Amino acid sequence: MSSNPPYPAGTVVAGKWRGNRYVVERLLGRGANGTVYLVKREGRREWYALKVGYDTLDLQSEINVLTSLQSCRKRNEHRARRENPLSSFLLEADDFVDGNNVPFYVMRYVQGKPLHLFLSKNGPSWLGLVGLKLLNNIRKLHECGFVFGDLKPENVMVSDYGEAELIDFGGASPIGRSVKQFTEWHDRGFWNAGSRTGDEGYDLFAFAILCLRLLNEQGLKTAATQLPQTRNVEELLRLARTLPDKKLASWLILAIKGGFSGSEQAMQTWKEHIYTPRTAKQENIATPRWLKSAFALSLFVLAITMFWLFRL
Amino acid sequence: MKQILLITDGCSNVGESPVMAAAHALQEGITVNVVGVVDYGTIGELGSREIADIAKAGGGISRIVGTPQLAQTMQMMTRKTVVQTIQLAVNKEVKKILGEGSLEELPPLQRSQVVTVVDELTETSDLRIALLIDTSASMKPKLSAVEDAIRDLALSLEAREGKSEIAVFHFPGRLSDGADLDMDWTNDVSGVRSLFSRLRMKGATPTGPAIFRVLEHYRYDTLDGYRDRRPAEDQGEGEGMIGGYVV
Ligand SMILES: Nc1ncnc2c1ncn2[C@@H]1O[C@H](COP(=O)(O)OP(=O)(O)O)[C@@H](O)[C@H]1O
Ligand SMILES: [Mg+2]
Repeated sequence: MSSNPPYPAGTVVAGKWRGNRYVVERLLGRGANGTVYLVKREGRREWYALKVGYDTLDLQSEINVLTSLQSCRKRNEHRARRENPLSSFLLEADDFVDGNNVPFYVMRYVQGKPLHLFLSKNGPSWLGLVGLKLLNNIRKLHECGFVFGDLKPENVMVSDYGEAELIDFGGASPIGRSVKQFTEWHDRGFWNAGSRTGDEGYDLFAFAILCLRLLNEQGLKTAATQLPQTRNVEELLRLARTLPDKKLASWLILAIKGGFSGSEQAMQTWKEHIYTPRTAKQENIATPRWLKSAFALSLFVLAITMFWLFRL
Repeated sequence: MKQILLITDGCSNVGESPVMAAAHALQEGITVNVVGVVDYGTIGELGSREIADIAKAGGGISRIVGTPQLAQTMQMMTRKTVVQTIQLAVNKEVKKILGEGSLEELPPLQRSQVVTVVDELTETSDLRIALLIDTSASMKPKLSAVEDAIRDLALSLEAREGKSEIAVFHFPGRLSDGADLDMDWTNDVSGVRSLFSRLRMKGATPTGPAIFRVLEHYRYDTLDGYRDRRPAEDQGEGEGMIGGYVV
């Protein structure tokens, strides 16, 4: 079914159960579980992303994850007394009557580029900020009791302003369960570095590989194509050590070794050591001399003005 | 749940028909999946037809791949078969309650509930997979890849919540026409090391007798009172398994 030609622009995807109609604008992408389109609800102006599934069971499984994430986030936001309508990632799920009853769901359209394309366009100096936002999203996911599983640059969308969003929850599973979907390079088991049980460390490991891949793809490739018996974590640690940013290297080494207590600690450490140095510099910046003298000058002017005022 | 995963690169040429052996397996509640491994050239029309037929008779899936895709293919097949077996059993229950069996026909809420049950059982039900490896001469250059793929499969199974065990057989066997047991039921990944290192490769490919040998092993275990399971022929196993979930 995955080889079906995509729907042309203008196709109306009408839901069987709820009756809503969506007009296809263009194809956004295809993956292992489905095809994603940019759509508008008929008669409305907002853009959405609509995913048409290849397999009813697989897609429903994904929808179930999104549904429970949604209610978890709603609870958390309610507690934080913050009503953010943008947070509803899943809008609805239905079957496309005219399209042979294929199942689909509608989600928020995440504008941007996949992480690797964003960084190759904007430069690796964005990694500190984008990485922090990504880690924060992962932390929120863990808080809701899920691991992402298939964490890789292709499944992270970054807006022009560095907002990072996870897409494709087809690999997400409850913490403690086996990881459903993974990609060789990013998989802890592939590197003989631990189990395939979904725990917070599994995502952090995949995140570390993601960083290595963004900063030294060739090195990672060489390490990955070794024979399975000789492929091991030492290779990854060695790669991390060759990075020029020593603080980042230490963070990655800890994540690869499974040394963080969880994503909360991993995020805080990232914030303090990899993200913060920049803001710290700004905070500590001494008031520039020109500003000081400008201030002195204005005081002087003020004094003279007052002098003239009182004289009159 | 019981599966046989046959890994071969060609046609059988000795003994009973492997298609018949697979049909027997299905009758005893064991699904048979087949992977054909070829790195150069093709497996031949005869070989690929046999591979497809064995899987069809055994109620399973077949794929023909090169060694680089072997590990991923084995996991995909195993998982898919587990899901299908459970879905079949769940559908029967659902039909009793709702009159509709297929997932596609169910309204969103019921569908979501049924899939929750299927996912739950996919993760938690007990699973046994007998790996049956063709070690005829032409397979020799592929065996280290096969071993890696087995280790990788064991790693994935280990992460499941349900009890998961694998056993490894190779054929042709030393004495009989059938298969030899290399590793008995285990859930220990580290056991999967240098399985085939001491093999002397022979030319014949008795796929049928080898499948029968695995069936015997499954049966022997059942007779042995393996955790007082009901006999394999009891087709109600699936229903009993989910009885508590679908209300
Ligand atoms: N919400 C979204 N907003 C924008 N683009 C998306 C969205 N979801 C998916 N895409 C695009 O569609 C592609 C395939 O979607 P994905 O969910 O990853 O499918 P699969 O699960 O089959 O891998 C993605 O790589 C991305 O380019
Ligand atoms: Mg994807």
